[in-house]
Amino acid sequence: MAVFMQSLISGILIGGVYALIGIGLTLIFGVMRVINFAHGDILMVGMYLTYIIFTMLGIDPFVSVLITFPLMFLFGGFLQKVFINRVLNALAQNQILLTIGLGLIMSNTVMLIFTSDYKILTTTYSSSTIQVGGGVSVSTPLLISFLITSAITAALYWFLLKTDTGQAIRATAQDRDAAQLMGINVKRMSIIAFGLGSALAGTAGALISPTYYIFPQVGGVFTLKAFVITVLGGMGSVVGATLGGILIGITESLGAVYISSGWKDVIVFVLFLLVLLFKPSGLMGKSRT
Amino acid sequence: MRKHLLALGVTLTLSPGLMAQKIGVINSMSGPEAPIGENITNGIKLAEEDLKKKGFNLQLVWEDDTGKPQISMSAMEKLATRDNVAGVVGPYTSACSNAVAKLAEKYRVPLLIPAAAKEEITRQGLKHVFRMNAPADKYASSLIDAALSLGKPKTIAFVYENTDFGTSTSKTAKDYVATKGLQVVADVSYAKGSADYRSNLAQIKSKNPDLVFMVSYVADAILLMRQSKEVGLQPQAFLGAGAGFTTTEFAKEKAISEAVVSCTQWTDDVSWPGAKDFGQRYKAKFGKEPTYHAACAYASMVIMAETAKNAGGDRAKTRDGLKAGKWNGIMGEVKFADYDGFTNQNNHQMLVQQILSGNYETILPAQFATKKALYPFPKWK
Repeated sequence: MAVFMQSLISGILIGGVYALIGIGLTLIFGVMRVINFAHGDILMVGMYLTYIIFTMLGIDPFVSVLITFPLMFLFGGFLQKVFINRVLNALAQNQILLTIGLGLIMSNTVMLIFTSDYKILTTTYSSSTIQVGGGVSVSTPLLISFLITSAITAALYWFLLKTDTGQAIRATAQDRDAAQLMGINVKRMSIIAFGLGSALAGTAGALISPTYYIFPQVGGVFTLKAFVITVLGGMGSVVGATLGGILIGITESLGAVYISSGWKDVIVFVLFLLVLLFKPSGLMGKSRT
Repeated sequence: MRKHLLALGVTLTLSPGLMAQKIGVINSMSGPEAPIGENITNGIKLAEEDLKKKGFNLQLVWEDDTGKPQISMSAMEKLATRDNVAGVVGPYTSACSNAVAKLAEKYRVPLLIPAAAKEEITRQGLKHVFRMNAPADKYASSLIDAALSLGKPKTIAFVYENTDFGTSTSKTAKDYVATKGLQVVADVSYAKGSADYRSNLAQIKSKNPDLVFMVSYVADAILLMRQSKEVGLQPQAFLGAGAGFTTTEFAKEKAISEAVVSCTQWTDDVSWPGAKDFGQRYKAKFGKEPTYHAACAYASMVIMAETAKNAGGDRAKTRDGLKAGKWNGIMGEVKFADYDGFTNQNNHQMLVQQILSGNYETILPAQFATKKALYPFPKWK
């Protein structure tokens, strides 16, 4: 039982971070219909940013989210305005090539600057835990990052549901042309959406850096994960991505214990295929025709 | 005049001492294995420098395999056919080495593998493949023997990455513990690069093993130990087989690395000729402590270059030279012998070490020991 609870709790906590990555990707897709294959690399940039802030300025990774978030927002906005905006109406494969290309440039630039050495952030609480009872312990940094993730997700929901800009973003996601006819500045919304998506990915990077390791090619793993989460939850659905992230976290964690750790990716993909087979639009997705 | 020049040219190309020794190097210089590959690169660079000082006309052809077997194979093809090298030193990982070994045999190019662990590589009767380091079975047997000599463990759990290196090392370890009467209570393989091993470690904790045997590369070693501490896994000893557990990065993480037992092919305080001097010069040149990979690569390059020079760059003669030769240098005595099903394998003496106050200290075998072992593993703070 302790093993089950331990796996379940670890799964939920790590799933929270996955959700944050998935939400960023789904937001970008919803507004622009562009699948951002550079998403994991943007996350990687967020990790290195956290690393620099930590080693040069000595600011705690969790506090540095306050710096990382706006910086990554600007970075995302810049990418959208200079690159992505030009291919909004292009063929899907051209968009994919562009984002993959941007991702490669990011990971290789970082490799030139920092070399491919693994960087490990060691904070005072990196290996500390909280005993929950019943032999179950929770990693302190993972718990903090989960709390921050929850706060950010809640704030994001509020932003999208209650503010004018949030509603404009959702309107653009629903129907770009109609939104434009209603006087919404869709170009601006695209920049904001891409900025937000990047900021979320960067934040996720910052949040996992105290418990994970940092290297230039780390993005690939997360791009794939974000893609699975987004499709699983329903392309463009923020609620779906939240659910998808946590679901993947739990599946990985339980699968690793009860089937085999080496097979955990297989388990995730089987789940992914099953969802697509029975509900092709994803858990929360509406089918588009 | 022209005839004279021509004659001179002919003598120059024919006399073996003057002709450039072309030797190929395949290594993981970029990609995920690059942090360890860098040590091999540095070791070879230091060997090149030393050999040139001794008057060797050495020309190295470098190939980067990015840690992928298919790229490693095309590198070998290039070296064998286009560059016409006398021999090749490399590659780093077991997967790459195993793929390249068969090609070396096909092209009849002597291949000296400095630091790949998979036993299989020198167990296929390949005549042109030589290996400097001790293979995976030695990692396993020396660690388990050390644990048995320090205490009385009865049960053991295995955690290893599901790569060539991980599965082959743990497989031989499992075979070995069976002969020693230890009971395997958990057997967990994982896909490397996961962020979360807690659930598996909790599962292992529930079995309460006396020994935990781990096989991982650099970053996962730190992650595994951190998360072991988190879930409160408390065996009598953590045994880390090679790679990730023998890096300075790992030792620096004092909170989680203290008292972890690992084994290595080489340290700079061992009494093999030139080892200390190599360590000092390496540190001065590259600003880092040399790992065993660096020492293996250095010794491999020196041996390959000397043999190729004596053979005048001829591949068949170089192969025979490697087979017949005997050396004594920073890796101790080196001889490529056939034993226990191995072909051209250097029967290297492994050193068992433990991290004590943030430093690697040799604890076994007794004649090389620098400190007394700490056993059992202290309670997590």
